[in-house]
Amino acid sequence: MESIIPSSFDDDFSKNLSKSDVVRIQNLTFQYYGSTSPVLKDVNLNVAEKEIVLIVGHSGSGKSTLLRAINGLIPHQHNGEYTGDVVVDGLSVSRTNMSELALRVGYIFQNPENQIFMFSVERDVGFGLENLGLQREEIRERVNWAMGLLKIQDLALRAPHELSDGQKQRVAIAGVIAMRPKILILDEPTSLLDPFTARELVDLVLKIREDLGMTVLIVEHRLDLVAKISDRMVVMDGGRVVLEGSPRDVLSKADVSRFGVTVPAIVNLAKRLGLPGKDLPIDPPELETRLRTSRLS
Amino acid sequence: MQALKKVDDLTNVVVSFDAVDFSHPNGTVALRDVSLKIERSELVAILGTNGAGKSTLVRHINGLLKPTHGKVAVFGQDTRSATSAQLSRQVGIVFQNPNNQLFAQSVRKEIEFGLRNFGLPDNVIEDRIKWALDTFSLGDYAERSPIELSGGEKKRLCIALVLAWDPSVLILDEPTVGQDSEQKEKLADIIRELISERKNVILVTHDVEFIWPLQPRSVLMANGSIIADGPAQQVLARPDIAEKSSVFVPQLVDFSIIHGWSSPFPPTPEAAERKLRGV
Amino acid sequence: MQWIASGFLFVRGTTAYHRLDPRVRLAISLSIFSISLVSQSIIFLSAMIAITVGIVVFAKIVRRFAKSMVFTAIISLIAFGLNYYFAPASPHQAVVFGIRLFAVISSTSLFFMTTTPDELEQVMKWLHLPPDFIMIFVIAIRFVPVLMLDALQIMDAQRARGLEFDKGNFIKRLRNMIPVIIPLIAVALNRSLDLAEAMDSRAYGATKRPTSLYKLSLAKRDYFTLAILVAGLGIGIYLTLFVSIF
Repeated sequence: MESIIPSSFDDDFSKNLSKSDVVRIQNLTFQYYGSTSPVLKDVNLNVAEKEIVLIVGHSGSGKSTLLRAINGLIPHQHNGEYTGDVVVDGLSVSRTNMSELALRVGYIFQNPENQIFMFSVERDVGFGLENLGLQREEIRERVNWAMGLLKIQDLALRAPHELSDGQKQRVAIAGVIAMRPKILILDEPTSLLDPFTARELVDLVLKIREDLGMTVLIVEHRLDLVAKISDRMVVMDGGRVVLEGSPRDVLSKADVSRFGVTVPAIVNLAKRLGLPGKDLPIDPPELETRLRTSRLS
Repeated sequence: MQALKKVDDLTNVVVSFDAVDFSHPNGTVALRDVSLKIERSELVAILGTNGAGKSTLVRHINGLLKPTHGKVAVFGQDTRSATSAQLSRQVGIVFQNPNNQLFAQSVRKEIEFGLRNFGLPDNVIEDRIKWALDTFSLGDYAERSPIELSGGEKKRLCIALVLAWDPSVLILDEPTVGQDSEQKEKLADIIRELISERKNVILVTHDVEFIWPLQPRSVLMANGSIIADGPAQQVLARPDIAEKSSVFVPQLVDFSIIHGWSSPFPPTPEAAERKLRGV
Repeated sequence: MQWIASGFLFVRGTTAYHRLDPRVRLAISLSIFSISLVSQSIIFLSAMIAITVGIVVFAKIVRRFAKSMVFTAIISLIAFGLNYYFAPASPHQAVVFGIRLFAVISSTSLFFMTTTPDELEQVMKWLHLPPDFIMIFVIAIRFVPVLMLDALQIMDAQRARGLEFDKGNFIKRLRNMIPVIIPLIAVALNRSLDLAEAMDSRAYGATKRPTSLYKLSLAKRDYFTLAILVAGLGIGIYLTLFVSIF
């Protein structure tokens, strides 16, 4: 029987607390009206600037709800009993309207189809900017910049139904980035993508953090793709945060599969071999290097 | 609703594709010269990029699509001489999105729908509904509306309602998308169970990590053609081919190659551990 | 069902008519529409139809137009028939009614067939229509092909459960649509819930007057066309007021 690791056993994590936190969640509890139990229970979580945070857990553990509490859909669009506090970039989410929050938090939803509104790609990328009432020249500039970043300039005049899922997702990301938020939220972004396109997306996320200095929160099931680039992994279960730390630490010290997380085969193997935790190998080359140095094989 | 001709126990070839071409009405070619034979109790995984033709291929097996050239046969019957509804009696497909088919007032009625369509007698229907509810732990939801179920439960229901009419072939279209580890475990168990019952399971998927321990016959597709077809050990373990169909080699294969092992590569972490420890 | 809808579907055309500012095209269709609505003269009404057809030829959309005009013609004939049946003493009125209906519908079709949804949306914005109203329209059109595809996939999914759409009497076939319509509604509702979240997340409603990436501006050919339109209207009014046969 494994015990649940306390929230901050990781030294690096405590260091993060002193850096500027772009997201501070304190004692957040939320229950939808008409629901019999809270979907988020006393959640505490801080995210530092430029961190890439991976959030995992069962379907129904509260992951997507937590994301929505950060960009304001909860409580502004979804009603319920809300206690606790979420502060994003210095603003209290429950006391700030969605338009203000949209300037700071960009949200990429799971289904690309349902977040493209307009008849052409460039128009959709500019959707948020039009809503904000920016001047035409500025909209044009930002739209071109965002499309360039996502490498979709050639698709500028295409209609959404002509695009593949991967392309649609890029359009959605471009549209969100054009608003220049500080924080980017991605809700299961790779679920509809094939592995190659998924890997491209992950590279893109890294680039977004490096070049644009954005903080990224990802909910993802495919650990083999994202564990390596994440600074921190947060495991949720039954509406609570049960584990938190660097991905390697969490994976090595706890059996996360009972929280619905698919543990990559190599991690599984490394743990079976009893390899110590701090630099737990999470992909094949790392395991090989580790084996050579510890002369196990 | 007339039944398909009785499944011949001596027929070993369950599905056959003979130089099949398929083009959409608007002209785009989706399948090019596809030839394939699937025998009884084979587990087959079909991999490839979105758009490579995987979904198009399996839709030929239950007759939702008919070939533009060539012939597709299921248990020896040409799919062009039967309707999709008739073929579905033997070939069940579980689609990727459960929301595309759930509509009944209760879970029980949902399971009953297919059974009635296939003209099964009342007592058989009763039995099969009970079997489906029990086997898939849906008993508590029997009288509830399918809409109330969670995503994972809906997917379970979709598998349950297809297996209720006991098709000889089960096709699963991207069954692991969005599923957590427990749901995937259960799915793997169901697949193994069906194979042990001499049924066929065909998986359309990108999830090499999920299928690798199952060691299925693997068919790789790209641009509407089959570019590789063989045991998982041969097909999934070739990085060059895998790349063409936008699939990565499984982590254990990748590691094995780096480590200097040759085929057969360990299908599970346990097997890899034993090999490393020299057991 | 598609051929009825195709009268109102958009296609990016390349003729000079398509290149006119959509507001000018709107003005043209609106003029023909209005005149057809008030005129009592069969000659005028026929002229309106002739002009519409002329523009259709010029804009090279004859095939699509013809397809949907079959339906319109049938409706017009029915209108004529009903009118004549209930008021056999005034056949002139019945003819006027029938032709008017045809003229009105065809001029509307002309506009929609030569205008992309993007242009429509821009015209609506220019008309200062409420943003919510425009959004409803935009999303409706944007998701028509999506929902059509959903419907086809749902039908496939139900076929795979043994449902035969092509068999049975009329009542049975109607009942067979229930397993298609209910999931379709569910899918459509889910899409709209997702859209609502996405819209809020992209600051929809932040200002009362959203700006626009594109700008409508009149070019020489637009002014020229407007001039012809005004002249045409002028002649029409003159003829109506001062020449007895009209």
